[in-house]
Amino acid sequence: MSLRNLLENWGDYRKGREQGGHHKYEHMWGMAIDLNLCIGCNACSVACYAENNLAVVGKEKFEKGHALHWMRVERYWDEPNLGEARVSEYQVHGASFVPTNCQNCNAATCEPVCPVAATYHTPDGLNAQVYNRCIGSRYCSNNCPYRLRYFNFWSYYESSWPAPLHMQLNPDLTVRDKGVMEKCTFCVQRIRAAKDKAKMENRVVAEGGVVNVGDQPFKVAPGRAKVQDMEFQTACQQTCPTSAISFGDMLNPDSQVSKLWRSHQVELGKTSQKKPNPELRGYRLLEELNTDPRVMFLERVREV
Amino acid sequence: MSVNHQCSYDSGRRGNARRGLGSLGIVLGVTAFAALLLSFTVVAEVPGAIPPQGAHDGKDVAQPIEFPHNIHADVNKINCMYCHTYARRSKVAGIPPTSKCMGCHSVIATDKPRIKKLTEYWENREPPPWNKVHDVPDYVHFTHEKHLKRFVFDNDALPTENVSEVCAFCHGEVKTMTVAHKTKPLNMGFCKRCHEANHGPFDCWQCHK
Amino acid sequence: MSANKVNRREFMKIVGLSGAGAALAGCDMPTTVTLEEGKERVVSYLVPEEYVIPGIGVWFASTCQACPAGCGFHGRVREGRVLKLEGNPDSPINYSKLCQMGQASLQTHYNPDRLTQPLLRQNGELSPVSWDEAFKLLEKKIGAGSGVSGDKFAWVTGTVSGHQAVLIKAHLEALNSGNHFVHEVINTAVGQAVSRDMLGDARPRYRLDRAQAVLSFGADFLGTWNSPVHFATQYAKFRAAPRGVLIQAEPAMSLTGANADLWLPVRPGTEGVLALGIANSLIFKHHVDASHLPLTVRNLIANYPFIEVAKVTGVSGDLIERAAAMLKKHSPSLVISGPSAEGHVHGYESATAVMLLNILLGNVGQTIEPGHSFPLPQLAAREGNTADLLSFAEGLKNKRFDTVFFYGTNPVYTAPASLSLEEHLAKVPFKVAFSMFRDETTALADLVLPIRSALEDWGTHAAGYQPGEPVLGFQQPLMEPLYQTTRGMGDLLLALLTMQRASDYAPFADYYAYLNNFAAGLPAGVRHGAANDKEFWQATLQTGLIKLVGEARTLSVSASTADLPAYKVDSEYQYHLVPAARLGMWDGRHANIPWLQEAPDQITKTVWDSWVEMHPATAAKFDVKVGDYVRVSSAQGSIEAQAFIYKGIQKDAIAVPMGRGHTEYGRYNVDPTGKPRGVNPLKILSPVTDSKTGELALFATRVRIEKTGRTHELVKMGSNDTQLGRKLAATITSDQFNRTEGGKTDVA
Repeated sequence: MSLRNLLENWGDYRKGREQGGHHKYEHMWGMAIDLNLCIGCNACSVACYAENNLAVVGKEKFEKGHALHWMRVERYWDEPNLGEARVSEYQVHGASFVPTNCQNCNAATCEPVCPVAATYHTPDGLNAQVYNRCIGSRYCSNNCPYRLRYFNFWSYYESSWPAPLHMQLNPDLTVRDKGVMEKCTFCVQRIRAAKDKAKMENRVVAEGGVVNVGDQPFKVAPGRAKVQDMEFQTACQQTCPTSAISFGDMLNPDSQVSKLWRSHQVELGKTSQKKPNPELRGYRLLEELNTDPRVMFLERVREV
Repeated sequence: MSVNHQCSYDSGRRGNARRGLGSLGIVLGVTAFAALLLSFTVVAEVPGAIPPQGAHDGKDVAQPIEFPHNIHADVNKINCMYCHTYARRSKVAGIPPTSKCMGCHSVIATDKPRIKKLTEYWENREPPPWNKVHDVPDYVHFTHEKHLKRFVFDNDALPTENVSEVCAFCHGEVKTMTVAHKTKPLNMGFCKRCHEANHGPFDCWQCHK
Repeated sequence: MSANKVNRREFMKIVGLSGAGAALAGCDMPTTVTLEEGKERVVSYLVPEEYVIPGIGVWFASTCQACPAGCGFHGRVREGRVLKLEGNPDSPINYSKLCQMGQASLQTHYNPDRLTQPLLRQNGELSPVSWDEAFKLLEKKIGAGSGVSGDKFAWVTGTVSGHQAVLIKAHLEALNSGNHFVHEVINTAVGQAVSRDMLGDARPRYRLDRAQAVLSFGADFLGTWNSPVHFATQYAKFRAAPRGVLIQAEPAMSLTGANADLWLPVRPGTEGVLALGIANSLIFKHHVDASHLPLTVRNLIANYPFIEVAKVTGVSGDLIERAAAMLKKHSPSLVISGPSAEGHVHGYESATAVMLLNILLGNVGQTIEPGHSFPLPQLAAREGNTADLLSFAEGLKNKRFDTVFFYGTNPVYTAPASLSLEEHLAKVPFKVAFSMFRDETTALADLVLPIRSALEDWGTHAAGYQPGEPVLGFQQPLMEPLYQTTRGMGDLLLALLTMQRASDYAPFADYYAYLNNFAAGLPAGVRHGAANDKEFWQATLQTGLIKLVGEARTLSVSASTADLPAYKVDSEYQYHLVPAARLGMWDGRHANIPWLQEAPDQITKTVWDSWVEMHPATAAKFDVKVGDYVRVSSAQGSIEAQAFIYKGIQKDAIAVPMGRGHTEYGRYNVDPTGKPRGVNPLKILSPVTDSKTGELALFATRVRIEKTGRTHELVKMGSNDTQLGRKLAATITSDQFNRTEGGKTDVA
């Protein structure tokens, strides 16, 4: 890519669909989280600890902000769009829970600032973190508006899994060492297993081309795996007691997640959604920052 | 043999569907042709593939039993996948279970010292503690099954009998060795060059985990 | 190949022979790998089962033991290790879902603080002995020739069911003793008594999924009440359009309360009054037909006009009115009561008042349906309560016991200090603890027998709350025991019984054989088409449960009046202590799980420590800021923890979470200075009981608070409690939701 091309097509470049660029998608994994169903129980968070070898840091390091929770459930007390007056003497409308994992932005702000290209966009549309490449500059974390990247300040493998706790570690992914940034991967080890399985069974889409998601065209690579919707689930999705989390391939128009995005009229590539029906619940976190996140939330609901 | 119904696999996995074990040529016994082959040190060609470049002189790794790959794979022409049976259906090739060794060696060569040692392990109900020779770092995802699919099972020009030529890409000429000895660097450059030459996937997260 | 003759059980043994090495067979045990050849072992299997493929996970079904709800799970096993648990899709309790405690039970199994060998008290200290010595001692103390029998012997357990319950009962019978004390702090005993008396069924089924409105008086059904994962799955249906409304009345916000459309801050102990006040409004303002209620009940309700009720309960008239209007508008409804309403001297009466609302609104038969009888009553759950703890304590005080066996409960931790359990236990000559961990009770035992984890042992379990057709959950080992020197609880029970009744129990080689024998004896009706015993056994292990055929009971409504005392102010101890139960720490049993310590509390987001919840008005009175250490004192003692200030607590209430403050429970309960992490609010509870059921009145303790002057930042996740105007958690109204997502706005 020439400098001129870079400057002229910066917006497209950041969204991974620049003219003649390197991106040919195989999949575009996306998520939808229904806050009407989320009860804030934390099952997703702990399922993630178990699946993704997350270190337990302990109270003393937690206080310093060293905690690692790729899927964390934020809890807020206010309801800004129903009016501050609703919270008066008592918290009569309960709390607002938001499970927040890496939003896997299509225009990820973490990616361009990595000095060693350890974080980049994969052909699966995932915002990847290559641990062995990461040098721990933490620029990406600084640049993430969602604060969803977590840094290993210590060599937790020395202390977090005293024997025999270490026997639980998932061999499908590594244990991160000191000085490495980490974050939600959309359970890439499960994605990889599903793709490998599809390819072993010769389930592939032979031809490439262009797939439209909403009004956004995405080039797709030939020979990509044909993974069925719900063929696998992310750890948080699988355990969620109220099934508030949906996950799937947004390039597959029939996937549950594509249908949800469509039915809530949320589109990729926008900094604000111009919905034909503005009452629909879908929205994305801080999309006005032009991060183009691939996690859609469905608004919480309250009887007033 | 009863099918076990107590479990299911990760994403319902089963073994490779394209070619079953039945097509593996398991030839026991010495053939004259084998002796002939031994005298050559030519690396046989794998059609439709460019072998990876790079050499490495690994150290000798002592094993509890000095397993002679040469007698099994070369003299007796036993297919690599007969013992390393998991390679075609899993990411790891696996060390064969002791029961597999004993399948033959309860009758073959039972008077040889190495077989006596093996029998001793077997009778103590204890598998031999093999030492690892070929290893990649923890942050690397490598899967045998997909490589075998690409170079063997999807490669109609390569008879399954010649699978050892594909194994040799990364493991060297094991059939000329006794215990395995690392002769390929198995580092990123080695992998990358091969992926480049054979149009393998080139994305970081294909191989890094 | 001999592998074909090896059944799954022997396979476990064989894999075990290769010891820890088996775990490495997949060549990618996570380590910081160096690339020096020959440094790592790659040990192969001896005789693998057909289905074992290194590098590929195999899933086995079993039953969760993290709480008594009895959820089914599938565990992923790779290279001989269990790595991950997921809900069992075949279970009618939890479908394919699990809560965080279920997820984290892996860390109970792999816990670094597990007991690995029998311990015997010698010269005051617990020191290791062999199993032979342990059995010799047991034989001497309680064997056939020991003379121990009758009232002198007691079992103290948590909720037990299945064949454990059968064997414990048989053991007591063999010793001619009737002393089985079943103790759980988190229980539904009062509610069950009320259901039994008013509906004729102690265990009716609640159908949230059919309700359009749920009014809960302190029943944290999404967190700690009956079967939380099951209710969460029902909740999802309840919230689909047309969306049901949830009203929660409780003194301090629970997880369920945090999800309520309307949260009513009720003064502790006045829940019954609030229920009658809402009934009053429904009848007299909203003209709900009450002609089916007896005159006495109608007169009772008439005595609770909402203005009076507002004064007593602290819930404003406006909120009472809104709750009544919602119940009128959305039908059918479901009204339930939970521990915070039931944990008072008049807890039974309050729960009665709550049940009257169901009768008034015609919910019985609609959203409350009869449960099914458990067709194998000997296997049904023997559910725990606190009344048993009190009678056990009373027995101890009267020196009734000289031999006590403990299993699955930690009464020394959960009992209020006023029961002096520790002191009285010291006088019992022989105490045996069957435990995986050294906890407060185990530490006082004379003989400690280390048992296997739920992931290493066989068993059967029946949930007390059966949400559908009754099921018997099957538990099977997912991996070889981590410690060969531990024993399965079932095996130990059989060994104990063999000491007494060798002719009956010696024929069973072990618990596995015993269960196998049971399964073979089951009638064809529950075999679901299995051709023979072997096939049935295999099918049972594959699904992890046996679906039984029960008979639906019938509900017979009898609306009785509730006798609610007037609210009394205590001038010295002005505040009510709420010992808050949470999905996570539970009653303290999960405090040794690092994941659950690190996973932030759902409401306060605090980690690794206890806190004191206060209303901002209360905090202002004492000039307390978030993070200040506050002393909470009752007449029975005091505890100190950091303040958490928010509006989710009634002004007269102070909440302290249960589960922390362990003096013995392994490394995760000790802070770097060697002190226990957090405090245990159960210790300072007043020895007050519910007058009808004899249950400990957990929410009846009055406390005073003081500022200690010490302060420290409260360690919690996230620093913002508000969204600072950003659209992070956006909210819309249910009218809008119902309009856009297919529901109707008015569901009458």
